[in-house]
Amino acid sequence: MVDRIFAGVLLIVTLAYTVIAFTAIRAPFQYDPLGPESWPQILSVVAILCLLFILWKPDASELGVSKQTWFRLAATVILLGAYAELYEPLGFILSTLLFGTALCAMLGGSILKSLIFGFATSVAGFLLCVTLLGLNLPEGELVEYLHKQASGLEEGVS
Amino acid sequence: MDAVLTGLATGFSVALDPFNLFLVLAGCFAGTLIGALPGLGPINGVAILLPIAYGLGFGPESALILLAGIYYGAEYGGRISSILLNVPGDASAVMTTLDGNPMARNGEAGRALSLSAIASFVGGTFAVVLLSLFAPTLATFAVTFSPADYVALMVFAFASLASLVGKNVVKTLLGATIGLMLATIGIDANTGVPRYTFGIPDILAGIDFLIVVVGLFGMAELLTLVEQQVSGKLKSLPLDNSFVRMADLAKCKWTIVRSSIIGFFIGVLPGTGASVASAVAYGTEKRIADDGSTFGTGNPRGLAAPESANNAAAGGAMVPMLTLGIPGSGTTAILLGALLMFNIQPGPMLFSQNPEVAWGLIASMYIGNVALLIINLPLVGIFARMLTIPQHYLTPLIAILAFIGIYTIVGNPFDLLLITLLGIFGWFLRKMDFSLAPVILGFVLGSLFENNLRRALSISGGDWTILVADYKSIVLYALSVLVVLAPIWLARRARRMAAGPVSSSKGI
Repeated sequence: MVDRIFAGVLLIVTLAYTVIAFTAIRAPFQYDPLGPESWPQILSVVAILCLLFILWKPDASELGVSKQTWFRLAATVILLGAYAELYEPLGFILSTLLFGTALCAMLGGSILKSLIFGFATSVAGFLLCVTLLGLNLPEGELVEYLHKQASGLEEGVS
Repeated sequence: MDAVLTGLATGFSVALDPFNLFLVLAGCFAGTLIGALPGLGPINGVAILLPIAYGLGFGPESALILLAGIYYGAEYGGRISSILLNVPGDASAVMTTLDGNPMARNGEAGRALSLSAIASFVGGTFAVVLLSLFAPTLATFAVTFSPADYVALMVFAFASLASLVGKNVVKTLLGATIGLMLATIGIDANTGVPRYTFGIPDILAGIDFLIVVVGLFGMAELLTLVEQQVSGKLKSLPLDNSFVRMADLAKCKWTIVRSSIIGFFIGVLPGTGASVASAVAYGTEKRIADDGSTFGTGNPRGLAAPESANNAAAGGAMVPMLTLGIPGSGTTAILLGALLMFNIQPGPMLFSQNPEVAWGLIASMYIGNVALLIINLPLVGIFARMLTIPQHYLTPLIAILAFIGIYTIVGNPFDLLLITLLGIFGWFLRKMDFSLAPVILGFVLGSLFENNLRRALSISGGDWTILVADYKSIVLYALSVLVVLAPIWLARRARRMAAGPVSSSKGI
């Protein structure tokens, strides 16, 4: 059953892909026998055949995921989404501190240990990656704002 | 032979450069750590660390040496969690648990670990030697491949993938097609027509390879870890002071040799990697051993077979990647993508155009194998301690590493959402019994497949018979049919044998 739903959803996406391949993609002029649309057309036919076969003969009937697990997964995804959204505004250190602590606590760590973990990964991660390895990580708008203030003050003084 | 020796000389001069030597050791060490962590296998390790290795700004040969070190280090480390925890890191380590874990339960953990380290070393070294002998010859031959032959080669790669990987042929094929479809997103290189971009500027250049890899392997793995999360610590079996005996090695030596050969050649087949190799080697050994009935209860030969096979396959999988530009496994598909990011086109010309990359990689594998044996025998206790890291620390760490890696490349927060979405998609695919390796293989090979098909038809002016005009293509198509039909035929024959009156399975 789950197999059929998943294949059905994929089939809808594939049909959209197919329609675009057969109608929308077109080169303004071309000399080659195969244009940009031919390859997607071939692929879409193969994909539709595979999907129809799965719809006809599904083999996985259940996902075997309990309600509690769904809840945990959904929470993880929400945390990941929030982490991605806050990555630039808050900067690496703050967002990682929040994300690391929250996910660690959610997965069963005690609050204190989670806080230590979040703090350690965010600060150590930033120092290691930015200072030692020279990678590019966001400082965060807050830090940038403070920087600007500080340099502004200095300029004002001098 | 001369070419091999001069090549190896070039390679060792690259690999013995102090910085590269350090990277080999660092990669092997990090790889063993990752492989030893329960639930994380080579492919996830390479996927999560690839963007960081790319972001460090090394030269292509150094980055590749580092990644390859992580790859076979993880292949090595996988046995630690298999033996002590009975939790395989990935599919290729499943066979190791069958006899490795019973040995540890019988109080012979040290013996099992040291025996498997030696088996891995022999398998790995054997594969590198064959790789350095065969690869240049194969590359010289592959230079003569026309675009039509390449199309046939792709068909062969996907045929062997479909028949040997995963349980369901149709699902494997669909997985590969999904990968190929993902690869069509972006501007068409031949005509400049945008395809499936929907006006989103972030994907005009196509979905970044790193995003697909980290999403499908790193983030999907993270969700799987969260799903299967066990409360509390996993119980690790104690590590004792027993060590491998000469008698064990004498007993296992032919097992190791046979399994290394099997592993290497299965690894060479495009698309099939270590998981198939270790399963086939274990099955073969069980069938021909006179004490086959004790397999699964802690037979040292049952441990040596899959371990030497999967390390040999890891080396074998490098052969098609370096010579044809067609990866032999999911992990080599990622390495191939890494080469492409450095603007190096893997393929027959690699040995002549970038000898320092091809031979440097091969030489680093010799060094890496020795280094792994040396760090694995005395330091196994340290790696074993990694097993007890609680999962609530490990899971957030994977996410943080993945985010660092993806963000440092282009600094675009949109990509962070994209890997999360791809992770959800990959998790669903895994839950539906799709394996993810075909998807990444399809994604990596997508443009190569399409361009060769279009080039072949341009040469013939639209005549499709050019695809079967050459003896090389015809042989490859015949092999494709064979590789699909042979397992079906063997399974049917096995069923008929089992139904027959002679029952040979009394011992079980």
